[in-house]
Amino acid sequence: MVADSLSNGHQSSTPTLVLKDLGCVQNSRWLFKNMSLEVPPGSFIAVLGASGAGKTSFLSTLCGLLKPTEGEVSFHDNETRLFSPIMLRGRIGIIPQGFHLTENTTVLSNVLCGRLNRYSFFQTLFGFPSSSKDEAYRIIHDLGISEYIYRWVAELSGGEKQRVVIARALFQKPDIYLADEPVSQLDVYLTGRVLGILKLETTQHGKTVFCVMHNPDLVDRFADYALSLNRENPDKWQLRKVSK
Amino acid sequence: MATEKSQQVNTPPSTEGIGIPHVHWYERLNVLNVTFIIFILAVIYSGSALHGSDRDLDYFSNLLRFAGQFIPPDFTVLNQTLVSLLETVQIAVVATFFALFISFIFALGAAQNISPRWLVGITRMLLNAIRTIPSLIWALIAVAVVGANPLAGVIALTFYSVGYLGKFFSEAFESSDIENAKALRSLGADPIQAFQYGLWPHAKPLIWSYSIWMLEYNIRSASIIGYVGAGGIGLQLYTYQEFHQWNKFATVLICILIVVSILDFLGEGIRRKIAKKVSRRPLAD
Repeated sequence: MVADSLSNGHQSSTPTLVLKDLGCVQNSRWLFKNMSLEVPPGSFIAVLGASGAGKTSFLSTLCGLLKPTEGEVSFHDNETRLFSPIMLRGRIGIIPQGFHLTENTTVLSNVLCGRLNRYSFFQTLFGFPSSSKDEAYRIIHDLGISEYIYRWVAELSGGEKQRVVIARALFQKPDIYLADEPVSQLDVYLTGRVLGILKLETTQHGKTVFCVMHNPDLVDRFADYALSLNRENPDKWQLRKVSK
Repeated sequence: MATEKSQQVNTPPSTEGIGIPHVHWYERLNVLNVTFIIFILAVIYSGSALHGSDRDLDYFSNLLRFAGQFIPPDFTVLNQTLVSLLETVQIAVVATFFALFISFIFALGAAQNISPRWLVGITRMLLNAIRTIPSLIWALIAVAVVGANPLAGVIALTFYSVGYLGKFFSEAFESSDIENAKALRSLGADPIQAFQYGLWPHAKPLIWSYSIWMLEYNIRSASIIGYVGAGGIGLQLYTYQEFHQWNKFATVLICILIVVSILDFLGEGIRRKIAKKVSRRPLAD
């Protein structure tokens, strides 16, 4: 398959993501193969596909949590320096489907964890710097969960937990967002709000967003490109520009 | 368009002729059931333990005669008892404090989700070995090394507690969801930060709960180890028992009962509060 190259003319510090002949096998089944793509900064890519098509595995491959069976994932910046996903750890923000929050601690602490990579363990041994807390609070407030800031995550509902994960990723200020169904437990208003914030990250700050979505209306409204994985034919993945 | 969509609704497959699968008796033999059957067989086999001395004794009058010697308690030894009791509590508190730190390190090594398999094996073997030695034997060893004083009690109870707390703490770590720590690692946190913010908050309530339980337990144990000279109120109990001064013995027992009951009550309250906070359900699901 010829490498697809997306373009939106953004200049930012966000590296360009390059997928070269990427393929992944899980449980003796190819999820996708021969995937070659070049994703410049400022792109909002909706990842689509039926249940079990490999959307989550695809995101895990991009951030280095899952080793691809074939091909490679790399990032290169304006000076054409190449990075592996592991080298960019901390610059990739993950919004996992299963949340993976620390339940027995506060909402604030969970959100602050988004920036652990910026501090040494000595600096965070007795808590986080107070300057970070103000910034974290603003994001938490923006997502409508400020009243729970000192509550344990274990006490929150699914939708509230989902907003905590999103707040953690936003507070991290990554270059690339990998969001696995980030609005699955949110109402219509919050869905629009969260996707709108992620869209702003691409248009205003030149970040790249990969977002697993199911709703075609939301794809049309927010995504620049739609990447469809094919469960039956792993090498028949498809990338299309979303017409506005 | 809407009509077309509504016509595409799939009809569920027919369930006619489908029945619940039959389960054979041997398929019910899971670990729990087999363990229960083995336990019942062991009880039947161990029935001989109920065999007495074959002498024609009146157990009830024996008990009444012995208990009668405790009444009335001799409160003239109250001051001396309170001083010894304070020393007993001090031994337990200091031993629990040292055991907490040592056990924490051992637990990290014994937790399967934190340490490599070889380290888990070695640490668990060591903890098992420590646990097989009763507190009274640890006290005998400590008295032989540092002499008959409260320090011997502290050393004995520290070793004894490490055997249990090390095991309990490692289980607390293992019951924590390691995925949270992994998620923090993927955000760029270093291993210590991932432990502190991803794993420790899950294990912490359990670890405090076990620690309070161990403190209560150590206060009871500290009352006994004095029998072999390891400080505390045990020495006083031993003296009164040797000289058959059961009235004074009763005073000491009453004091121990009061202190242990208060600590049990407080410890239980704290542990219940911790458990309640950990298991609290979402406000609106």
